[in-house]
Amino acid sequence: MFVFKGVNIAAYDKELIAIVGPSGIGKSTLLRVLGGFVPPKEGEVRLMGKKITRPTPKIALIHQSIATFPWMTALENVKLGLKHRKLPKEEEDKIARKMLELVGLSGFENFYPKQLSGGMRQRIAIARALAAEPIVLLMDEPFSHLDELTAEGLRQEIYQMIFSPETNLRAAVLVSHNLNEVIELSDRIYVLNGSPATVVDVIKIEMERPRDPRDPQFAKYLDELYKSLTPTKKKLNGERKE
Amino acid sequence: MSISLLIAMILASMVTIGRVWLTILFSIVSGWFLAYASIKNRIFENIYVSLIEVFESVPVFSFFPVILIFFVYDIGGSLGVELAVLFLVFTAVVWNIWIGQYQAFKTVPQDLLEVAENYRLKFWGILSKVYIPFSIPRIAANLIPSFADAMFYITVSEVFAVGIHTYQVFGIGTVIANFVASGNYFDALIGVIVIGIFTTVITLLLRDFSKYAVEKYGLDTEITVKKRGRIHFGYTTRLTNSLSYTTKLSKVFPTPVRLRRSVEEEEEKEHRQLWKVSGILTGTIILVLILYGAIRTILSVPPYTWGYLISTIPEDLIAIGVDYLRVAIIAVISLVFAIFVGYYIATHERAEKIVVPIIQAYAALPAPAYFPLLFLVTISFISKIFGPFTNEIYVLFLGFISTFYYVFYSFWMGVKNLPQQYWEIMKNYDLNFLQKLRYIILPGTFPYIIAGMSSTINSAWGGLAIAEYWPNIVQNYNLGVRTGLMKTIDVAIATGNIALASWVSLFFGIIVIIYSIFFTRKLMDLARKKYIAEEGIYLV
Repeated sequence: MFVFKGVNIAAYDKELIAIVGPSGIGKSTLLRVLGGFVPPKEGEVRLMGKKITRPTPKIALIHQSIATFPWMTALENVKLGLKHRKLPKEEEDKIARKMLELVGLSGFENFYPKQLSGGMRQRIAIARALAAEPIVLLMDEPFSHLDELTAEGLRQEIYQMIFSPETNLRAAVLVSHNLNEVIELSDRIYVLNGSPATVVDVIKIEMERPRDPRDPQFAKYLDELYKSLTPTKKKLNGERKE
Repeated sequence: MSISLLIAMILASMVTIGRVWLTILFSIVSGWFLAYASIKNRIFENIYVSLIEVFESVPVFSFFPVILIFFVYDIGGSLGVELAVLFLVFTAVVWNIWIGQYQAFKTVPQDLLEVAENYRLKFWGILSKVYIPFSIPRIAANLIPSFADAMFYITVSEVFAVGIHTYQVFGIGTVIANFVASGNYFDALIGVIVIGIFTTVITLLLRDFSKYAVEKYGLDTEITVKKRGRIHFGYTTRLTNSLSYTTKLSKVFPTPVRLRRSVEEEEEKEHRQLWKVSGILTGTIILVLILYGAIRTILSVPPYTWGYLISTIPEDLIAIGVDYLRVAIIAVISLVFAIFVGYYIATHERAEKIVVPIIQAYAALPAPAYFPLLFLVTISFISKIFGPFTNEIYVLFLGFISTFYYVFYSFWMGVKNLPQQYWEIMKNYDLNFLQKLRYIILPGTFPYIIAGMSSTINSAWGGLAIAEYWPNIVQNYNLGVRTGLMKTIDVAIATGNIALASWVSLFFGIIVIIYSIFFTRKLMDLARKKYIAEEGIYLV
């Protein structure tokens, strides 16, 4: 029994792609397949041509339920992403502070997660992921556990954060069921539907950033997404030709 | 080996296990009412929880002189001895069950309580439909270690000697002890096998019951649990419970058409008042009884006896120091075993399926029953290797086998309860084994380690109490140590010096409580403040 079949997804340089689909379709599972956490029964995941068989710091995952370690300060949480690099302590400290600064948490280095808001905790998780020097960032509904105002603030900043010159990030994959969010952030959107799930549509978003939800073009994309998500006979096994 | 002997052994095992379940059932039923009283009345709650926490940290064997004085001497006869055995087992199992039930009652989700209020459930309704079902997974999780603990203590308490008198009740512990005493080792071994079969089957059934309890009464979705009171990690499962009951309730009970507010508010007020008064009354009675018992005991001891008892303090202090060293060695070995084996099996599903039931079944097999046979088989070999330290090795070994299970089980459960996200982060950032241990596993399981170590340390005293003075363990061998507080108590009891046994037990109890308040509890407070892994996962 396959959760999804014939799914072909690609993320190109400096591209943020999104995966959308109805609840329970397997979006988060697909993200874990991309990260090497769940081995696919068929097919493979390749990062710059190299096959991915297990999780690697080169593909960092940001969780839906914001995961920080309550016994570590913000700085120590970020340093965890650097442990695999076996750097000298000073270097580790310097990079972690730089990443916290990048996500707007300068001055909160010695705070414990419990002393910070949900949005700030998610910033710690993003800083930790970026500290690992990933090539690809996987984001599993990263704003779903934040209140709308905080989520909106973070959404507006995240693109600049992850593709800042301070990082080596080449691509990001966002899983979300918030259609406004994916149009606001993504370069391309993969729509999953059916059982087993397949890619039923790929929508390229060609709008300047920052994107305004009141823009008629934004509404047009939203309509297109809604149409793709409603039951349809159209099935694309792979990417739609541009 | 005759059939009638085998039947006798089976009957003896059933009697022993019957005693164990009698005390466990009594603990559970009384625990429900006490937990309910404590959540309804703050004064009673403070007394109840404080007493449990104090008694929980007192090793079971320090209750022994109290048992002797009250049950064996005051009540006397076979009834007195029977009650003494039951009481000793009761003190081994009750605290953990009670605190688990109290914690379950304190963490019933507000939504469930509101549903119960909505449908105007009365005392028995809310207890049987909400609180009791909610506490079942916690009780089920506690049953396996409680059963093991009870089996350990019952087999040693079924037969005991005070001075020239030997007191015994019928049970497998007595049967095996008598076979060993008469040199009939083969029959003793059969006895161990018979009780081993019983404990293994019961442990496996308890595992199934635990799974069933979580499946049936566990919360089937994330809902906010209003945490009140102290979190207790002793053998606990996740703090999740019976949401499914809410849906059942909503189907069974019709929604009230109209609330007759004024009448019902009045009823509610009276109901609260009743609980308040009965809570204060029960709490006061308990305190008065404890105070009365203490004053009566102090006044009944003549001044010259007090002089003698006080003069033993320096020796007692040395003895307790030596015993703490033994306990520390046992605890460290148990912890190292728990961390490495516990981590391995928690991360290897196949190994876990095989090893955990084996360790659980083994833990329920009472060490005092089979230890003489193990001693008999190994003594010549061990004495060649360890020479003058042979007895010390056996004492530490008995301490270890009778106690390692608690920290192992607790740590293993802590590892299993680590949030899935943490495992993904460990894999994602390619942490090596030592980094995982240092940064995530040990801090994330810290509350479980403290709870497990606390139980391991408490049970280690039980192992030492048996091993430090065991005359004629087999074939005229005497197992014993030169110095040790447990030995002092054992010898005092064996020579009928009840005053000394009581005094040293009291002295020991006070030291253990002070240690518990200033060390274990401080660590537990730190664990609650900083090391709750679930709090690292932010869910709105």
